[in-house]
Amino acid sequence: MSLLKPFSKLPGLNTANILLVENQEQLQHMLADVLVKETPLTVTVRLAKSLPLPVDESRPRIDLVVFIINLTSELSFQSAEDSLKYLDPGYFLGKVCFMVTNARHASVPTERLDALRRLAASLHCPLLFAEDQTPEGVIGAAERLLTILKVSAGVVPMTTALYLSNLTRCTLPPDIDQPSFD
Amino acid sequence: MDESATRLLQRIVRRTPTEKLKATLEKWDRLTAAQRRSVDFTEPKWALIEKLVDACKENEFKMKHITELEMILVIENPNQGMWYTFQLVDPEDDAQSVDLLQFQEQFKSHLRELKRNVSVKIKKHTDQAVWIRIAWGDSFSRPNHLKPTYVVHQLQSPYIFVSSLTSKLKPLLLQALTFSTRHLAIKDANLSGRKLTAIRDLLMKEYQQVFPTKYPSPLAENNQTLSNLNIEREHAEASANRHRMAGEAFGDGTLPELQFAVYKMETKFKDPTNVAMTERDEPFRCVVKFSSTNLLESLRHCAASGLASTPVTPLLSSIPLKGRNYFVITDNAPGAASRAQQPQI
Amino acid sequence: MEQTNASVTRTPLDSVAVKRKSKSRSYRQSYRSCLGVASRLGLTPARRLTTNRKAPESHNITRQVNPEHLALLVKNEWQLAYVTPLHQFRHTQLRSYARHLSAFVVAEKQQGLAVEVSGLQNGFKASMTVVQGMSEADDDPETVLIQIHSKPLFSRPDDPQKLVWSGWLTCINGNPEYLHSLPKDFTCLPLFVYKGAENLSSLVKSWVQRTFDCCFGPLELSQTSLQWLAALWTNCHAESNIQHLRMLWTLPSAPPLQVTYAVDPHDVWELWGSVRKGSWGDGAGEARWIDLEEVASFMQSLKSHFYRHFKLDLSAGILNQVSTALGSARFNGRIKISNSAYVITTLTLLTECALLKMPI
Repeated sequence: MSLLKPFSKLPGLNTANILLVENQEQLQHMLADVLVKETPLTVTVRLAKSLPLPVDESRPRIDLVVFIINLTSELSFQSAEDSLKYLDPGYFLGKVCFMVTNARHASVPTERLDALRRLAASLHCPLLFAEDQTPEGVIGAAERLLTILKVSAGVVPMTTALYLSNLTRCTLPPDIDQPSFD
Repeated sequence: MDESATRLLQRIVRRTPTEKLKATLEKWDRLTAAQRRSVDFTEPKWALIEKLVDACKENEFKMKHITELEMILVIENPNQGMWYTFQLVDPEDDAQSVDLLQFQEQFKSHLRELKRNVSVKIKKHTDQAVWIRIAWGDSFSRPNHLKPTYVVHQLQSPYIFVSSLTSKLKPLLLQALTFSTRHLAIKDANLSGRKLTAIRDLLMKEYQQVFPTKYPSPLAENNQTLSNLNIEREHAEASANRHRMAGEAFGDGTLPELQFAVYKMETKFKDPTNVAMTERDEPFRCVVKFSSTNLLESLRHCAASGLASTPVTPLLSSIPLKGRNYFVITDNAPGAASRAQQPQI
Repeated sequence: MEQTNASVTRTPLDSVAVKRKSKSRSYRQSYRSCLGVASRLGLTPARRLTTNRKAPESHNITRQVNPEHLALLVKNEWQLAYVTPLHQFRHTQLRSYARHLSAFVVAEKQQGLAVEVSGLQNGFKASMTVVQGMSEADDDPETVLIQIHSKPLFSRPDDPQKLVWSGWLTCINGNPEYLHSLPKDFTCLPLFVYKGAENLSSLVKSWVQRTFDCCFGPLELSQTSLQWLAALWTNCHAESNIQHLRMLWTLPSAPPLQVTYAVDPHDVWELWGSVRKGSWGDGAGEARWIDLEEVASFMQSLKSHFYRHFKLDLSAGILNQVSTALGSARFNGRIKISNSAYVITTLTLLTECALLKMPI
């Protein structure tokens, strides 16, 4: 039950490890099935309900941590928020991203998306929106994760996770604090 | 065939799907072969009704023949309407030796003593259960066959299932049942549902149960549904634990289909951040109803997926454990600290 | 080019109306409405509900509003929708609008009939009236009631016509800043509540859409709106018995689990009092303000009481419905207001929800 560190282990040859954290444990399975099909890079997927992870010496170095949040569920958001503190600050240099589902669901209060946006912006992480109802949506989401994963695993020449995250991180719109009415 | 018998027949035919009707009529076995042949089940319902009414008139059927048809239908389709459960308590010495004939006689005579103009029909089903159909009338009116009460009882078992019974007639029926089964008392078992088979299975524990064991099952690896070596579940152990505990609480495999569970709660409101409410003397009154197409499976899924914390709270595990779905929850006597709430009526 | 794109996104039905508007404005509008769409996609923030609002006071609107209208509003369950501002809508021309609408409905109903059915000619009669007194702030445009009467197909000529469809276009306490920012030709009646046959609803919508160059959309109630309603209604208990506060949650298990949580009115009112900040109880007569934080902690308290017993976290699910004796509201935009005294409070909240859907 300790802090997950990004650089405590050596990377494996031609492999990338991704950790999917999702409280509801639904989309992560679908994503995992798509992600492991990637060739020639060997992608290993580790699935977690929340952090911290149990102590496991054999766990390889995790290149990318993805928090999957179903926006209709308050619990899903809270759980991700609580998990963040078990990550080494080094991860926030481009090795963490948030993936949101159901953001357009009518029952979602806009405050929740704002809060998530603030969280992602304050941690300099990208915020991805995904659709999990159709296979195409899942494949699309997995592809976006793969793109980031390849960079953060260091298999894309001439770029680094930190560099990419400068381009992809979530930024707050200037008017987020504007209280629209009154 | 009189007016009311015709009306009952019409209603039965109207409410029954055609395929079911065909099988039921064969089982009923009252129509002559020629009559049965003449009935064309592809015809629309109104034509079918006309033909059947004519056939019954031809055979000079009475109300008892038609109610027989209805009983066959109800026995074949027990999962309709709302079934309530009662439990017989305090058996007398000879309770174990009551046989069908004795029960039948006793029940009819007791009920007739309590209420005039009651029509009772008793039929024994193949699975040992006794099915009773009661049409109620009163001193001035003949029994109303359009609103019958159904009672299902397995002799020598403590449970009685009843559907469509008005509260006015309830004491009479319960009294007659208590006497004729040679018991001293009967009480509400607080279990009801739309499916008779489900509530019976729940009470008789006729579903796959999981018993707590100290040692994890050697077959645990079978649960590993992941096909790929490159996918690893970090919390596999915790998840297996949750699944085990959920199974222990609610059972394994397909569970009896209960539709709801109701908790009437009068417990203290406790919240360390809310002093005003915590110090309040009166309890916080609320009614919580859980409903689902299969309540036990929903609850098991909640516990297994971590939506509900494990170990499962006794409030929820009491549903299968005690075979009830109506609970009144109050705080125990003041001073009882840790287990403050226990389902108690 | 810019403009054609714009008009396509905004007004798919009526290109004539677009031409009337100046080129630059139409561009600006569509640009913003794109932002509106984008905000729902999560690119820019949507505007939010206000975080504090006045405690509901019982309004004696029975004195101002025609009791017949009020009775119609109170006794039924309504479906909610939002409407973008109406172009060149005049309250003075309701009579001629009603004639057009009648003709439109009859014409549409006749489509697909091989032979002209003479009975249908007078089968539908639409009426539009101003509901006097159904407005709160000075800027609110007057509420308009649309009703469609019809005669049953096989009725005698002297039978009275039956009310088959009714709908309201209303704006209660609309944000003055927004209302003022609209160009002169636009009237903003953002909240559309209606009930009746589905095909009539869509006919009325498409007629309004064509005539006033506007758009309709379903108005669903988010978790926050439902929680607001629960708190606002509970707050009324001192004046008018709410009988119960009932909430319906759906939890994502398989099969889905529905949880109905009904709380005693007195107890829930005391709980509400205990989470109110500041001086609870005093300040009688003053308009008290309710804060979103109070609403949130009220809901949190209810959830934690539930969790303490069932170890089941309601936060994982979706709040589908809240109801009290004062009214009920469902997530899918169905609402019933049962007590006329609190019509204004509820409609104010709903107007705000509808305005959030407007393109700026």
